[in-house]
Amino acid sequence: MSPVATSTGLGTGSPGDGGAGLGEGAARRRELILAQSKRSLGRRHLAGRVAVALCMVAVAISLAPLVALVAYTTSRGVHALSVDFFTKIPTPAGIAGGGISNAIVGSLIIVGLAAVMAVPVGIATALFLLERRGRIAGTIRFTADVLTGVPSIALGIFAYTVLVEPFAHFSAIAGSFALAVLMLPVIIRSSEAAMRNVPRSEWEAGLALGVRRGRVVRSIVLRGALPGLVTGNLLAVARAVGETAPLLFTTGSQLFNLNPAQPTAAVPLTIFSLGTSPFPADQQTAWGAAFVLLVFVLVLSIVARLVAGRLNRQAR
Amino acid sequence: MPDDGARTASTLEEIPPAERTPIAGVKEALQRRWSRPGGRGYAGLRWGGAGLFTAVAVALVVSLLSSSSQAFAHSGLSLLWTGTWDPTHKIYGAETFIVGTLITTAVALVLAVPIGVATAAFLSELAPRWLATPLSVLIDLIAAVPSIVVGLWGLLVLTPAFAHHVEPFLKKIPVLEWFFHGPALGPSMLLAGVVLAVMILPTMVALSRTALAGVALTDREAARALGGTRWQVVRRAVIPGARTGIEGAVTLAMGRALGESIAVAMVIGNAYVIPHSLLAPGATLGSAIINNFGGVTPGLDRSEVIALVVILLALTALVNAGGQLLLRSRAREQVS
Repeated sequence: MSPVATSTGLGTGSPGDGGAGLGEGAARRRELILAQSKRSLGRRHLAGRVAVALCMVAVAISLAPLVALVAYTTSRGVHALSVDFFTKIPTPAGIAGGGISNAIVGSLIIVGLAAVMAVPVGIATALFLLERRGRIAGTIRFTADVLTGVPSIALGIFAYTVLVEPFAHFSAIAGSFALAVLMLPVIIRSSEAAMRNVPRSEWEAGLALGVRRGRVVRSIVLRGALPGLVTGNLLAVARAVGETAPLLFTTGSQLFNLNPAQPTAAVPLTIFSLGTSPFPADQQTAWGAAFVLLVFVLVLSIVARLVAGRLNRQAR
Repeated sequence: MPDDGARTASTLEEIPPAERTPIAGVKEALQRRWSRPGGRGYAGLRWGGAGLFTAVAVALVVSLLSSSSQAFAHSGLSLLWTGTWDPTHKIYGAETFIVGTLITTAVALVLAVPIGVATAAFLSELAPRWLATPLSVLIDLIAAVPSIVVGLWGLLVLTPAFAHHVEPFLKKIPVLEWFFHGPALGPSMLLAGVVLAVMILPTMVALSRTALAGVALTDREAARALGGTRWQVVRRAVIPGARTGIEGAVTLAMGRALGESIAVAMVIGNAYVIPHSLLAPGATLGSAIINNFGGVTPGLDRSEVIALVVILLALTALVNAGGQLLLRSRAREQVS
């Protein structure tokens, strides 16, 4: 029963007099309609309560697997942690012990390099979008939006064709390049949004003082948007550090390596190769690596949000 | 925002030449200011960034197309509807993978869309603030869980659970059992769809929540004034009002489900036949790329795998562009 139908029903039933002048038939009709509308309201409230309950069930269903996943990874992963876990490299398949130091260091190198590549280009492109309207800016913005949805495996194969095939071996740089392409659209759009929040009047104040545009951007816009920039870029890094598909065919090694031009291990790759191994000892290490990755990603996301929260408080 | 000197110059151009002489000095001074190192450097920085980004985007498309050209020359478009993938006999077909991708994505959407929209409706419209805020933050945080961790959990926890409990149970349900015939093995299209649903749910919730919150207060007030209950306001005013936004959310979530590869590769069972039941193992474009690219020999074989990447790219780009346009049209509606 729709609200519209009910209210029109009520409207015809009470045309504005006190009820005294109504004929017997009209009064009975009015009673009937009132009773009906009361029943309908009761039904509607009941339907509403059922629907709200169903929505609560939906919330529970959407939270349950994710919470279970985090809880299970934590309970399994904590047992794998030890000093060796952070200082040694993996043991041969199936043999207990060993650690993932090579993968942790490798991941830091790969993601660090990716950030070095993506952040400057991303912020420069965001400035371009900020300063320019029209078809070019629109096209770049649309490209960035579509690129956000490009499957990460496609980026991995792309990096393979341009940076692995010509050199005939994997390298941390190739993996970083794939992750940088992955991060770029995220950085561009979040940086643009952050810098758009800097009031126009502040730009204009700087320009009116005769300050060069580049200097205005550096001292007023970038500084003013700093918390927003940090948030956006940290979230991009958090997304990149957990990506496996872009690294699968670009980097990866069993050894400890610090040279970015050489094959380098990474935590997600370690989880993939050890997790799909049939040996319980390997799976145990995989849970440990998954736990470390999860903690790292969640801490990055929380820090990013805290920075954003500080920004909001400052703005108020 | 106009370009640096361009507007100043063009307004000067509009001044009749007779009156121009004294201003010419100003124009020159302005141009000199822009030619100072800071101005040029800054313009160079912006154009450099935008140019580099565009170059990378173009290179992505060009390099994948050129690497797969050999495959398209060999198989032509029949690659799309050939159901066999047999590199030893030089028969390549992506149909199995395309069908697998579509089925797993459909399963994920069937699960995630209603649950996601209901969750979003509860969080943005029905729940009290003290409950809605922490739950929303929790869901946003969980969206950051890497797909490899979801995949590991799917492989080591969900797979045995599905094989022993969930799948035998589903086979007993009347009517629905039609979807679930065949042996309960664990790795299956169903499991892949469930894992994808878990991964796209946070996206679904976050984007739908934004869409619902964007519905005008007057719409809610009007529905309330007509005598609607709290739920009727949500059901008949807020959700229809947010329709375009929710459609955009569904499309973007769909794009993510189509393109996910690693978690799916870990749970789908990687069988290269067109599945006739949701319990049968299968393969998607993403999982097939992961399983084939590693050991492939350079030349035609590799080119065929890269052709799969191109198909996947085209599929996701299409879906994502559609989603972006939907979200944009919503933004325009709200402005007008």
